[in-house]
Amino acid sequence: MILGLETSCDDTCAAVVTDRGEVRSNVISSQGVHDRFGGVVPEVASRQHLELVNAVLADALARADTTLAELDSVAVTQGPGLVGALLVGLASAKAIAAARRLPLAPVDHLQGHVAANFLEPDPFPPPFLCLIASGGHTFLAAVRDTAGYEVLGSTLDDAAGEAVDKGARLLGLPFPGGPHLERLALEGDAEAFPFPTGLGRGGRRGPMANGLDFSFAGLKTALLYRVRELGAEAERRRADLAASYQRAIVEALATRVEQGLESSGLGRLAVGGGVAANARLRERLSAIGVPMKVPPPALCTDNAAMIASAARFSPRLAYPDYLGLDAYASGQARPDVGAPVAASAAASGATGAQGPVR
Amino acid sequence: MNLLALDTATPSTVVGVLAGAAVGQERDDPSPGERPRHAQLVLALADRALRRAGLGWEDIERVGVGVGPGSFTGLRIGVATARGLAQSADVPLVGVSTLRTLAAVVLGLGTEGAGRAGGGRDTLAAAAAPGVLTALDARRGEAFVAAFRGSPAGPDEVAAAAAVSPDGLGQLVEGLPDGEGWWGVGDGAIRFRGHLEPAGVVVPPDDSSLHRVDGEALCRLAAAAPPQAWEAVNPDYLREPDAEVALRASRR
Ligand SMILES: [Zn+2]
Repeated sequence: MILGLETSCDDTCAAVVTDRGEVRSNVISSQGVHDRFGGVVPEVASRQHLELVNAVLADALARADTTLAELDSVAVTQGPGLVGALLVGLASAKAIAAARRLPLAPVDHLQGHVAANFLEPDPFPPPFLCLIASGGHTFLAAVRDTAGYEVLGSTLDDAAGEAVDKGARLLGLPFPGGPHLERLALEGDAEAFPFPTGLGRGGRRGPMANGLDFSFAGLKTALLYRVRELGAEAERRRADLAASYQRAIVEALATRVEQGLESSGLGRLAVGGGVAANARLRERLSAIGVPMKVPPPALCTDNAAMIASAARFSPRLAYPDYLGLDAYASGQARPDVGAPVAASAAASGATGAQGPVR
Repeated sequence: MNLLALDTATPSTVVGVLAGAAVGQERDDPSPGERPRHAQLVLALADRALRRAGLGWEDIERVGVGVGPGSFTGLRIGVATARGLAQSADVPLVGVSTLRTLAAVVLGLGTEGAGRAGGGRDTLAAAAAPGVLTALDARRGEAFVAAFRGSPAGPDEVAAAAAVSPDGLGQLVEGLPDGEGWWGVGDGAIRFRGHLEPAGVVVPPDDSSLHRVDGEALCRLAAAAPPQAWEAVNPDYLREPDAEVALRASRR
């Protein structure tokens, strides 16, 4: 059995997964403390992780009806993410493993999202195209085996979930904006305002030279201008604004998926990240007509079961080879201290949406 | 008792092991300006300290940890590591104030190893002092500071830990009992030497080991303190996150 730990952003997560990929427990403690700040505050997140981590871990073991003595290995997110937050999980995982001389698997967070698809009871084996869209990352990857992925495109600026949150905020909706925006959009006309999808900046010499990158910064700006233009009228048109804004994000993601399927020759699709919860996006993607996998919500948003799942197909470091592991904030900064080497020719966004290519 | 204790509140990474009556330590002291190496070294040093003591992880009966105040990230690495070890080994955990550990060496309490650590003569001189002010560099022009006097039971706190400005430091010194001759140690005492010495506080030379957290003193204090549940041991940040302060200010 594998114990997984994940603390890369604002969820404190622990899970127990069997070597066959069965999820015995998957505990996610969403901090909630960030809502009043309108976004995740790294120092607040780090403090909260430390408050919660040991109790969340004990809870994951109890729910799996197991004990530390029955574990075969420990898996933990090493990066990318908020370094202070990652360090709490990494220090905890290393210590838990060290005191029992268990092997430890350092896992790339994005590989974790990909590996969520390999879990029982309905595993989706490679090859497939994978779209991960959340508040922290947005990328499209070709997954040809269980051990790695090739980034085909990632966001050049905001992540899709970040664009959702910022748009929701401009419309006066509370943080986190996703569910609120989706609900408001239900009552609006998605064709009311032609918002940019960020797809037009491609071309051979444009910023999206590889053609499959995303850009959401222009969309957010367009919404801001439109709200200002409308003035007092904006309040009455909120639902139309929400629906049109959401449509632009969904179209941007779905169009890139269509292009990615065509250019990669892959005929299957997996979707993950918090934005996968959006019903409009799922509808639009399933209309593409290829076999599609969307893991249940608890495995789409950040969680530790996906980290343990990735560990099933990653090298495990024996004691004491992992004692010196450090966390890394972005894909580019990944240290190769006893960890698999990260290398990718693909352009990467500010969120460091880059992963190990093997 | 066999005990492992660590402190990562300051730039140093310090690990002490108490094996029955014998005590030893492993440490990493970055040069000024160098980045701390807490995450990379704390468990590796613990592994080495245990092997030197002839112990394995399974022999540890208690874990001790310095709870600061100090660097937020450093404290979290230390407390997360110590809690993880205690939880995994199912042994009690003890939190020890980093300022108290600094004071213990100067006051010559429970630190037979102090002479070997290089503080011998200073320690003897300091033992005659009315007490010791321990100060850590808190950045932003402030120091985390507390004051202790010697007692048979260990350092006796006479001024509780607080984050203070240089002026506040002066006021604290004026309010100390038993007149002049107090000692000041810690990287905060070095940083604010110019404020402490004119007020009559004796600050050892910059390179004195008295300014650094001692792993053996930490072990003795951790062994003497009552054990706690792991979730009860938390960093003593002494400061709220900036965002919290800013949010309150914006609501005012
Ligand atoms: Zn994520």
